[in-house]
Amino acid sequence: MSIAIMAAAVAVFTGIGAGIGIGFATGKASEAIARQPEAAGKINSALLLGCALAEGTAIFGFITALLIIFMG
Amino acid sequence: MRLDALKETLLDALSNQTAFTIPLLGGIPVAESVVVSWIILAVWMVLALVLTRNLRVRDPGKVQIALESAVSFLNGFVKTSIGRHWRPFAPWLGTVALYIAASNLIGIFGLVPPTKDISVTAALALMSMLLIYGAQFRYRGLVGGLRQFGAPMALLAPINLMEVAVRPLALCMRLFGNILGAFIIMEMIKFVAPAVVPAVFSIYFDLFDGLIQTVVFVFLTTLFTGEGIQEAD
Repeated sequence: MSIAIMAAAVAVFTGIGAGIGIGFATGKASEAIARQPEAAGKINSALLLGCALAEGTAIFGFITALLIIFMG
Repeated sequence: MRLDALKETLLDALSNQTAFTIPLLGGIPVAESVVVSWIILAVWMVLALVLTRNLRVRDPGKVQIALESAVSFLNGFVKTSIGRHWRPFAPWLGTVALYIAASNLIGIFGLVPPTKDISVTAALALMSMLLIYGAQFRYRGLVGGLRQFGAPMALLAPINLMEVAVRPLALCMRLFGNILGAFIIMEMIKFVAPAVVPAVFSIYFDLFDGLIQTVVFVFLTTLFTGEGIQEAD
């Protein structure tokens, strides 16, 4: 059981990557909006797409962890 | 032990309850998510009927103006993302947005969100996949649709074919994982501090996250559809 818990913890570490990725994307988007406020709409939609894709990795890690804990 | 009790509540949160069983053909189980979906559908249908009464061209009421701006916002968004053939897609995308938004937010009223059930999100993602690739073949023809898998260059064809499976999987898992994650975190918070604190976190996890995930699902579907059919003449 304890090994499964450790495995789940490792799987949840994917969240680090997603966090860094989303942080970078948001920082760059803020810079871009500061430079060109009139393009805010386009930048926002690109940011949303990027964040959704980056967040996907964290979600996959989360689902894997859940599967390990409850199914395995 | 308290930890075991927590695990019990989490297991309870993960499992999808059967609301009732139709006594036909040896019993058809009807899941709770289906029943809650029926409630959502009924509410939207009644709202659609009530809110669209007395529509006027001259001197429109407040409700009509709000509805019109919502619909034109949706149309404008779909138009900019999909391009020339936007018309047939806008109503479907709007309907999906309304359904997902209502099912993500219904946790506030104490009902179980249907999007917490992976079958519901899988069905939504499959419909998105049919929309994306159906549109691609509908507007490009059989040969053009197949050729689109080799765009922007033939080298990427394996990746494009893999995306046929990966896109719906990612859409399904993203919605499911977010809503389930928010649900579990809320259960944990309720377990640790039953009063006041959950209300504050509920604003983020139930309201904000639910709406963001609605936007993300519809946005990604629109974007993928547009990618498949843009520049098609």
